Formats: sequence, C-alpha cells, structure tokens
Amino acid sequence: MDVSINGARILATIENVPLFGSVQITQTLTASWLVMLIISGLLIWLGSGLKVSGISRKQAVAEMAYTSLVNFVRGNMGTGFDHYIPLVGTIFITSVISNLISLLGIWSPTADLMTELAWALVVFVLITYHKIKSSGIVAYMKSFLDPIAVLLPINIMSECFTPVSMACRHFGNILSGTVISALIYAALAAANNALFGLLGSSLVAAVCVAALGALLILFGKKANKKLFFILGIIVAVLGVLAVITNLGVHYPWLTVGIPAIPSLYFDWFGGCIQAFIFCTLTTLFIKQAAGD
Amino acid sequence: METLYQSLVTVNPVTLIAQICNLFIQLLIAKIFFLDKVKAILDQRRTAADKEITDAQAARAEAMTIKETYEQNMKEARAKADDLLLTAQRTANSRSEEIINQAQQTAAQIKLKASSDIEMEKKKAINDAKNEISGLAMAIAGKVVERELSAADQEQLIDRFINELGDSV
Repeated sequence: MDVSINGARILATIENVPLFGSVQITQTLTASWLVMLIISGLLIWLGSGLKVSGISRKQAVAEMAYTSLVNFVRGNMGTGFDHYIPLVGTIFITSVISNLISLLGIWSPTADLMTELAWALVVFVLITYHKIKSSGIVAYMKSFLDPIAVLLPINIMSECFTPVSMACRHFGNILSGTVISALIYAALAAANNALFGLLGSSLVAAVCVAALGALLILFGKKANKKLFFILGIIVAVLGVLAVITNLGVHYPWLTVGIPAIPSLYFDWFGGCIQAFIFCTLTTLFIKQAAGD
Repeated sequence: METLYQSLVTVNPVTLIAQICNLFIQLLIAKIFFLDKVKAILDQRRTAADKEITDAQAARAEAMTIKETYEQNMKEARAKADDLLLTAQRTANSRSEEIINQAQQTAAQIKLKASSDIEMEKKKAINDAKNEISGLAMAIAGKVVERELSAADQEQLIDRFINELGDSV
C-alpha cells in the first residue's frame, strides 16, 4: 500500500526575483484566489438589490448573516469594537469556504500553514497594537519582565506563540482531516484490491457470494430479522460487484460513498468548527489586549 | 513535466505575504459590497420602522383628539337640546298658566258683572214693587179709611206699611 501525503503542488517557480530569490507559485495561492472569487461573487450577489420594504428571501439571508456576525462580535468583544466586524467576518467566511472546498476535490488553502499564519499574524499585530494602546509602550515592555526579570525569555516566547498556536491549531485540524481522509481512502482501496482480487479471479465464487446474499435477504425477510436482511444486502451487493469485476470492469468500488462518512466529521464539522474557533480566539485575544 | 510538491509543513514567505494581501483584499470586497450595504439598508429599515411607529402614534393621538372633540360636541349638543326642551316646557307652562289666569279673570269679570246686573235688576224690581205696592196701599188705604186722616197720620201709616212690606219681601 502506497500512501503519499504531500503539501501544496508547486505550479510554477520564478527564479531571480529581487528580495525573495526563487518564488514558488503554489496551489494554495490559486485555490485562495478561487475561494476569494466564490466569496466575492456570493457576497456581491447577496449585497445587491437590497430594499427597504418588501424584502426578498435573499435579503433576509443577507440580513440574518450580517446580524449574526454583529451579534457574535458584540457578544465576544462588547460594544466599541464594531470596526473589527469586517475582519472577523472575512476570516470566518474565508476559513469556512477554504475548508469546505476540499469536498470538491480542490486543494484546501487552509491545508497550507502559511494561510493560517497570515491570518494569525494580522491578529497578532492587532493584539500588540491594543496592548500598547491600552497601557503604553513602557508598560508593554515592562510586562515582559513580569513577575520577575528571569522570565523574560519565557514571556517573549509566550507572546510569539500566540499567533503560532492559533495558526497551528487551525492548520493541524484541517491537515489531520486531510491525512485521515487519505489514509481511509488508501485503506479502502487496499481492501478493495484484496476482496475483489480474490472474488474477481473466479466467476463461480462471485456468483456463490451473490447467491448467499440473496438467500440471507430472503431468510431475513421471512424470519423478520433485520440484521440478516441488512447483511444479506451487503453480501449480495458485494457478489454482484464481484461478478461485474469478473466480466472485466476493474474499479475500486469500496472507495465510493464510504469515505463520505468520516468526511462528514473531518471536513464539514471540523472545517466549520475550526473557523468558528479561530474567530472566537481572534475576538477574545483582541478584547483581552484592549483591556476594559 | 514532473509535478512538484511542497512538504506538508513548510514556511513560504511569498505565500505568507500573498495570503495577508488576499485577506485584506477580501476584507475590502466584503466590506464595500456586502457589510456596508447591508448595514446601511438595516439602518434605513430601522429608521423607516421607527418612523412608522411614530406616525402611527401621532395618528392615534390625533384620532383621540378628534374623538374627544366629538364627544365634547355631543355633550354640548345634548345639553343644548335639554336646555331647549326645558325652556320650551317652561314657556309652555307659563303660557298655559297665563291663559288660565286670563280665562279665570275673564270668568270672574263676567260673573261679577252678571251678579251686579242681577243685583241691579233685583233692586229695580224691588223699587218697582215698592212703587207698585205704595200706590196700591194708597189706594187701599184711601178705600179702607175713607175718612179724613191728617196728613201726618197718613204719612206715618204709609211708611209703616211700606216698611212692614219691605221687610217681608
């Protein structure tokens, strides 16, 4: 079994760019642009044709999205931070769409640490700005010596690890989803090979399995035993697929449909929850830095 | 061409900077084309709703004023009607009393006149009778006595006779 999990594909390499040296244009960037196009199109569509009275269903959705975003930011940060609504909303929608775009078989931009690190650095700059603004530059510098001067390196590290931990939390979850999906896919392909390699070699065995499945179905239905009935369906389907394989159609049947079940958690749930966590941390960190 | 991959976790400054730029571009697009527009329209809708409520309250207050005026007018009209009725009743009463008084007065006058007329007639009749009787008496006396009477005696006799007669009449 050969599983290779790679990073983003490098689409082009431009040599001798001043300041950077060789520049690699990766799939992350193109996928990001695609995500941006999708989001911009969606938002422009939602934001067009707004009316004061007699609103359409589309406008109701737009208003609901806007209101829940405002409520989220105000709920976490209180009033007075309304100018961060666009940033939080943008990070959230970009994160969600980036996470979910992998369902279409497109490289997810959030599976590249640089994407999350970019967002986290922006948040880090804001956190630092608010810390300096609320207590002054001197007090900010002094806070690194708190409670004793010896802790200076640890304090600097803890400060720097805020963006790193934010970025890695998000990245790690998406990456783990990608890795697990790849592993499941590879495992299913291997199981497929083993199963249909065995059954696919003899037509008689395949027909026998199909017949066994049919018998199980009949027995399950007659004795009113659901377990046998379901088992019968599975065995019969396997048998039929094996017969088809025998006739010369080779396809990894097991990889159809089954990976969608773990994907429900790792892509849908994980993707949305990580976007939500990133935005919650953004608001809470900025709020904390700004003090009261 | 051979497909090249980055390693799973790698630091790529170009991607990093590009993603920061992408974030801000996306932010601007979201702000200009969605958030600001929705915010403006929500504010407008809120203002419109507020205005509608204020208008409704004003209309209600106006309606209340009109109702009060109407009720006041009704009350005044009723009072006026009562007043008119009362005046009419009073006028009718006084008029009827006047008429009755007048009638009574006239009746009394007529009665008075009638009784005075009767009295006069009576007196007249008595006087007539007296005169008749005195003449008769004279004649009777002259016949009865047939003798000479002194003038004085005659007078006295007549008077007495008349008086007696008058008392009896």
